[in-house]
Amino acid sequence: MRIILQLIRKDFIHFFKDKMALSLTFIVPMVLIALFGAVFGGAGDIEKLALGFVNQSTSSVAKRIENTLDTTKTFRLIKTFTNDKGEIVSYDSNSIKNAVISGRFSAAIVLPEDAFTDTSSSLKMKYYYDPKNDMESQIIEGVLQQTIMQSIPEVFTQSLNKKSEIALGKDSSKKFNSEINKVVSKYFNVDTADVFGSMNTGKSKQDSGNSGINIFDNMLNMEKHQLVGKNVANSMATRNVGGWAMMFLLFSLSAAARSLFEEKQTGVMIRLLSSPVTRTQILWSKYLYNMLIGIVQLTVLFLGGMLLFKIDIFSNFFNLLLVIIASSVACTAFGMFLASFTKTSAQANGLGTLLILTMSAVGGSWFPVSMMPEAIQFFSRFTITYWSIEGFIAVLWRGWGFFEILPYLGMLLGIGLVVNIISYINFRRGNIFKN
Amino acid sequence: MIKLNNISKSFKSINALNDVCLEIQEGEFFGLLGPNGAGKTTLMNILIGYLYADSGSVYINGEEVKRTELKFRSELGFVPQSVALYGDLTAEENLKFFGSLYNIDSSVLQNNIKDYLNAVGLYERRKDTVKNFSGGMKRRLNLITALLHNPKVLLCDEPTVGVDPQSRNAIFDFLEKLNREGLTIVYTTHYMEEAERLCNRVAIIDNGNIIAAGTTDELLKLLPEKGHIFVSINNLPDLFPDLNRFGNAIKNQDKYEIKLNEGINLSAFVKVLEEKSIGTENLILQKPTLEELFLHLTGRRLRD
Repeated sequence: MRIILQLIRKDFIHFFKDKMALSLTFIVPMVLIALFGAVFGGAGDIEKLALGFVNQSTSSVAKRIENTLDTTKTFRLIKTFTNDKGEIVSYDSNSIKNAVISGRFSAAIVLPEDAFTDTSSSLKMKYYYDPKNDMESQIIEGVLQQTIMQSIPEVFTQSLNKKSEIALGKDSSKKFNSEINKVVSKYFNVDTADVFGSMNTGKSKQDSGNSGINIFDNMLNMEKHQLVGKNVANSMATRNVGGWAMMFLLFSLSAAARSLFEEKQTGVMIRLLSSPVTRTQILWSKYLYNMLIGIVQLTVLFLGGMLLFKIDIFSNFFNLLLVIIASSVACTAFGMFLASFTKTSAQANGLGTLLILTMSAVGGSWFPVSMMPEAIQFFSRFTITYWSIEGFIAVLWRGWGFFEILPYLGMLLGIGLVVNIISYINFRRGNIFKN
Repeated sequence: MIKLNNISKSFKSINALNDVCLEIQEGEFFGLLGPNGAGKTTLMNILIGYLYADSGSVYINGEEVKRTELKFRSELGFVPQSVALYGDLTAEENLKFFGSLYNIDSSVLQNNIKDYLNAVGLYERRKDTVKNFSGGMKRRLNLITALLHNPKVLLCDEPTVGVDPQSRNAIFDFLEKLNREGLTIVYTTHYMEEAERLCNRVAIIDNGNIIAAGTTDELLKLLPEKGHIFVSINNLPDLFPDLNRFGNAIKNQDKYEIKLNEGINLSAFVKVLEEKSIGTENLILQKPTLEELFLHLTGRRLRD
């Protein structure tokens, strides 16, 4: 037993001396749990979803719908935008469509002038959407219908009363309703006052909101217009392939950059540096090699996506290639940063795994960024994953051209440049090239 | 050919080299002998341009070497302490790659690869991946990788660490042949036997200081005793009064060890023993070693 205790003691000594092991055991999991909890909504309600909104109708019903959507916990209605002159202007039916197409938000509602009139038997609305994220689209549409449907019964019973008053006159209408009331009370064995009350207000004691949906289904006339990705063959695979490809690219490139440590450990590095080879040449060769591997890997993954899921990569191949190159530049810079910042291959591995999982979670590889808390959405803009995924969606899903994807290319190349400069400074300070 | 002037180098609070001055002549087999941590590898790393010296200068053929200058590197071949090869490449692939880093004609490189593989007995294994080689084979390949560009100086940093005696001898033979052919060799080791066998001149380094340098004979002259004589015989008589005239005598079980003083007359010594009926067959004469010199100079053994 004494021996076993000594052996255990020895392992504890090793463990507490290895700061990386300590952090991977305790701190990193805690950080990841907190982060993933926040990403997947564990830290509170799902972030309000952006919903473009235009109300061209003057009817009280349309106003009521607008108020209901405005106060819902699910949506953040966006009604205005800043134009080229810096003025804040309201969206109209055209500009809101463009906003959806450009990806400013994924869905928009337009209540037209004739959304609801005194003679209407249904509520008209136009629903414009870009289903770039399945989950987000389903949630928006589901909550939107539910919210509107809950308001409809009340609106429509009042509307029917109004119609009967117009058709029969006020007295006859009242008499008609009273007779109907008696019949319903007699045959359905309910309180007369209750039935009459519900006819005036649209609410009954039994009405729990959802019960009205089936009855009033036909009273919502929602025109759906998918503005983006209509012609995409396999929409789900097209939207998701970029996110997963990026995660695997980051893993493989961080592993490739770690080969610098192996070269140092085996003495190859010192042999290289004893020949007419400079440190800068070694770093450039490693950088360019990893970048080429990244480009080939992403291209092969997209080709695989084409063969397996019929993703159309060739109709916008040039722009796809540009995003692939920019993503590889940024991911390679990340791998080099890992190698420059850490002291051993094991440290690079631990830190790399942490950062890659974090970037994948926050950047949208697994879950739409638009559904994350606002703070996480803010941080996602600092990840390579976010800009790559957005770039891939822009070329494969939206079919955008060179000038439209420039912001994504710029961000990826910019991140690559900044991270490379930091890495270069770190490399000059040592570790890999230090004895 | 190579001159080091007042080279100093420290790592944080550790002084790895202190004002090291050395001169290595063309065609020499120069040994740098010292225990682990003495500063041998640091000195090598400064010679190849891997490390900056904090102060001092390195000259090759009279020209000062700056670390950023690459032209000198083609004149040097470096054999690192570890097997600095790519294990998953074949022997030939490794040689082609490392050879291609120098500006030499591909046909010359191809010939050199063939010649050196033959010279160390690895030609038949050239298509095998290095990770499947034995330790000795890896060491031989490690050595010839530094020779492909026909360097003028070969710098070997403990190239036989962990090698079996047979492979070590093969490496020694090969290095001696190269030296005979005119190659200047700088060789670091903590094995005094290696230094004594291989090197024309040796510098002894300890704690970053060169404490002695010269040919082996010159160095051994620094020892006060000029050798050892062991007297071994059954029923050893008391010989202290007679033996102490010639040096410091110590009795150890059934034998005496006498550290001979400088300038003693060996025939007088033999005569004294013969008078005690001890013949020369009972005597073992041992020359002084660099190990003893190191002990004498530092108070420690080389492998302490």
